[in-house]
Amino acid sequence: MRTVARAVNWNRLEDEKDLEVWNRLTVNFWLPEKVPLSNDVQSWATLRPEERELTIRVFTGLTLLDTIQNTVGAPSMMPDAITPHEEAVLSNIAFMEAVHARSYSSIFSTLCLTKEVDEAFRWSEENPHLQAKARLILEEYKAGSDPLKRKIASVFLESFLFYSGFYLPMYWSSRAKLTNTADLIRLIIRDEAVHGYYIGYKYQRALEKLDAARQAELKDFTFALIFDLYDIEQRYTAELYDGIGLTEDVKAFLHYNANKALQNLGYEALFPPQVCEVNPAIMAALSPDSENHDFFSGSGSSYVIGKAVATEDEDWDF
Amino acid sequence: MLDNGVKTGSVKAGGVKAGGAQADGVKETLDYHALNAMLNLYDADGRIRFDADRMAARQYFLQHVNQNTVFFHNLDEKLRYLVDEGYYEPEVLDQYSKNFQRAIWDAAYARKFRFPTFLGAFKYYTSYTLKTRDGQRFLERYEDRVVMVALTLARGDEALAMRFMEEILSGRFQPATPTFLNAGKQSRGELISCFLLRLEDNMESIGRSINSALQLSKRGGGVALMLTNLREAGAPIKGIENQSSGVIPVMKLLEDSFSYANQLGARQGAGAVYLNAHHPDILRFLDTKRENADEKIRIKTLSLGVVIPDITFELAKKNEDMYLFSPHDVQRIYGVPFSEISVTEKYAEMVDDKRIKKKKINARAFFQTLAEIQFESGYPYIMFEDTVNRANPVHGRITMSNLCSEILQVNEASEFNEDLSYAHLGTDISCNLGSLNIAATMDGPDFGATVEAAIRALTAVSEMSAIDSVPSIRRGNDEAHAVGLGQMNLHGFLAREHIHYGSPEGIEFTSVYFAAVAYHAIRASNLLAREKGQVFKDFDKSKYADGTFFDKYTDRDWLPTLPDVARVFGDVALPTREDWAALKADVMTHGLYNRNLQAVPPTGSISYINNSTSSIHPIVSKIEIRKEGKIGRVYYPAAFMSNENLEYYRDAYEIGPEAIIDTYAAATEHVDQGLSLTLFFPAEATTRDINRAQIHAWKKGIKTIYYIRLRQTALEGTEVQGCVSCTL
Repeated sequence: MRTVARAVNWNRLEDEKDLEVWNRLTVNFWLPEKVPLSNDVQSWATLRPEERELTIRVFTGLTLLDTIQNTVGAPSMMPDAITPHEEAVLSNIAFMEAVHARSYSSIFSTLCLTKEVDEAFRWSEENPHLQAKARLILEEYKAGSDPLKRKIASVFLESFLFYSGFYLPMYWSSRAKLTNTADLIRLIIRDEAVHGYYIGYKYQRALEKLDAARQAELKDFTFALIFDLYDIEQRYTAELYDGIGLTEDVKAFLHYNANKALQNLGYEALFPPQVCEVNPAIMAALSPDSENHDFFSGSGSSYVIGKAVATEDEDWDF
Repeated sequence: MLDNGVKTGSVKAGGVKAGGAQADGVKETLDYHALNAMLNLYDADGRIRFDADRMAARQYFLQHVNQNTVFFHNLDEKLRYLVDEGYYEPEVLDQYSKNFQRAIWDAAYARKFRFPTFLGAFKYYTSYTLKTRDGQRFLERYEDRVVMVALTLARGDEALAMRFMEEILSGRFQPATPTFLNAGKQSRGELISCFLLRLEDNMESIGRSINSALQLSKRGGGVALMLTNLREAGAPIKGIENQSSGVIPVMKLLEDSFSYANQLGARQGAGAVYLNAHHPDILRFLDTKRENADEKIRIKTLSLGVVIPDITFELAKKNEDMYLFSPHDVQRIYGVPFSEISVTEKYAEMVDDKRIKKKKINARAFFQTLAEIQFESGYPYIMFEDTVNRANPVHGRITMSNLCSEILQVNEASEFNEDLSYAHLGTDISCNLGSLNIAATMDGPDFGATVEAAIRALTAVSEMSAIDSVPSIRRGNDEAHAVGLGQMNLHGFLAREHIHYGSPEGIEFTSVYFAAVAYHAIRASNLLAREKGQVFKDFDKSKYADGTFFDKYTDRDWLPTLPDVARVFGDVALPTREDWAALKADVMTHGLYNRNLQAVPPTGSISYINNSTSSIHPIVSKIEIRKEGKIGRVYYPAAFMSNENLEYYRDAYEIGPEAIIDTYAAATEHVDQGLSLTLFFPAEATTRDINRAQIHAWKKGIKTIYYIRLRQTALEGTEVQGCVSCTL
């Protein structure tokens, strides 16, 4: 028996969300070269050595997560896709994760010495917490594992695990440091927000079709996994941020994002509002919208690839 | 005298919930950045927390400014210290008696100035105020800076110094950043805001320009360069074909020069380049801003501008191809650089001339490409060449604009010897800027006197500046004394008066206001010409000299017709036709001292200090997110906004390009130079929407378009909760 190869037909949509997300992701396409990172060189020099080391470590941690999502996470979900369009969206997600991983290297090559970067990469390979969370996620990405659990792990990676790292550049930029690097990170956040939302959406659609027993099993799994990840994540956070005294603040941010990740999966919040009081400066820094930057020191994070439409005769009416 | 700049009061205690926001009140332990950021997050009742920002300003003084300000017992001790330690220029203070110094400082402190917003205070102390050399401690308060600027610009005239101090401290007149930042300081950059240079088609001119760009960046101020005259890629050199590499490598050289030079680290060097739409390299020029441009040709920090003549629109209307002409050939045939030719006028002739090498692209496709690049990068700026030259009242041709697209002046080519000395010294352009706060000026005691003081202050900057490192700039300034008086806080003022931006009332107000400013600016320049017995070069060849400039003011009234507009002008004395006729006679007899008088800049930083909305465009958001290299991300509430009058603060994206263009058109009519006009679109817009706005702007007589800005709304489900600037 021969299987029929099928071409993806975007004019026959089974789920409108696929096209909506596809459009958003393609419009948001960017490359790290657009951000003038070299404008941060002076600002980088004002950081204390331990602050620099922290920053590099945080970025190597993020690089690792992006690498996992690029090479393992997104591709492992493609065979699970319900619609051919979902597969196309996932391939876009995979590619942008590669761009993200590449971006951190752009930051390193612009700001840091090779030796510092090599040390940080070695650190990332040896850090037990970072490796533990990578292992937990990779376990779910393995071939033959439950497709829905894969999605759960993926949403946690996209919407939760990244944020202990994202905190730092947002913190720096609220202190007028590394503002162009923060622009780049905001572009990454812009992408990750859509990725986490989309994968969570697909999870919820699949969940609806299951019987109550299976739904309960997945919910249990979800909360068990977030507990495990949170446990690792708070150790990881303490190890990184204790030195500059920001651990408590970062934890509030973790709680907020853990709730957000659960929300993407359609579940209720885990952490009560009292422990989610994120520093407003970080909270407000997350929105890329309508930022008014002076164009002379940065490129901003609000430009997109526009839709080209030819003008008609009626437009030239003069 | 060095009291803390805030009223100390009890700080409200209570919990704050970021994001979800259920409790009200403000935590007393929060630092000022966190308090300021709360402006961008609604409270539990969906109200904007203006009180948090006021508290941020207060905490900023308590936690940071007051603790880091150097203390002096009295003024004499302070001034002696600042002069002895080489912080203040003794020449500025020596022009005045000790008694007068005390009098002006007392008068300034008696006004009890307070910063109404956190960003105003933060911006001032971060970027303007005098600091100790290690950058750690503050040596000036706001009043000190204002007085030093006034003393510097009044050059020993006590009455004038007092007047400048009053105008600046009351917020009516705000000098541009380079003047306000630098005046009176011993180690400083220039007082001038920006420079415009032409490049000619030879290596000497290119080399000299790079040197000039370095020199001018070092001294502060943005630099724009016109590349229209450079031969295109593939053009012959010394008769050998395919030799020239065109404009892109020159742009690369310039970009790197600007990154290298900055003003004592105070301001990043910044530059723009302008190219005519009919230059053969135009598409490569635009492609440098593409998202996927190769690293070798990508231009990251240099700003781009395109000069578009009327003929390009005519060709697009007919959906024809547009020809691009080799500047090298045009110069050979016509004997003048490409920029000196009106492409519209000579188009047919040049198309038919087979000695001119040319290629063609579709005109509509060109406009579409322009819009695509604007989507991706915000660039290029646009200058409508024929509109600009038709409206130009002085002799000569305008071929380019500047970094903020509001300067429109004539220039003249220089010629060089092989050793880079001048064979013929041409003229290049500089401009001294300063802006009036429309609301404060309307509230002020004497509208005409405020405009006059502003013109005098700007003229002083011109007279005190001599840029010897770039002789063509120096010559241009000496001959023209060009200044650019701008305006800001239009939206804030209209909203305070319960007039909608872009409404018929808003547009009529703009027209009447700018006509009155034009009248008083010309009157002031005429007074200066009489006092000094001197007029700008080629005054006799201008439309001021033959009186035709005044026709539109003596043929009709520029007075309010709508009741709401008449109401806001109240008893402000507005010039009548008779006033204009008398002024015409005075100008024709005695001339004008300044070749150019008005230019409306975008006013970023100074409008925050001045508590204004920027320039004359609408607010970009009720709570603006301001990001800069030096200050990071800070949040700024629109001037005069409260939770009660929000309906008058529709933002630029809601107002849409047409109403903004119509408002600018009303102002453009009375401004001899240009106005920085930014257009705002939602990210869902298409290139066609941008093109239509450009066509509308061109039809309405707009001279230049500055940035295109886009706003993307977050995908439903991914937005940050409870954020004011994220409109849903």
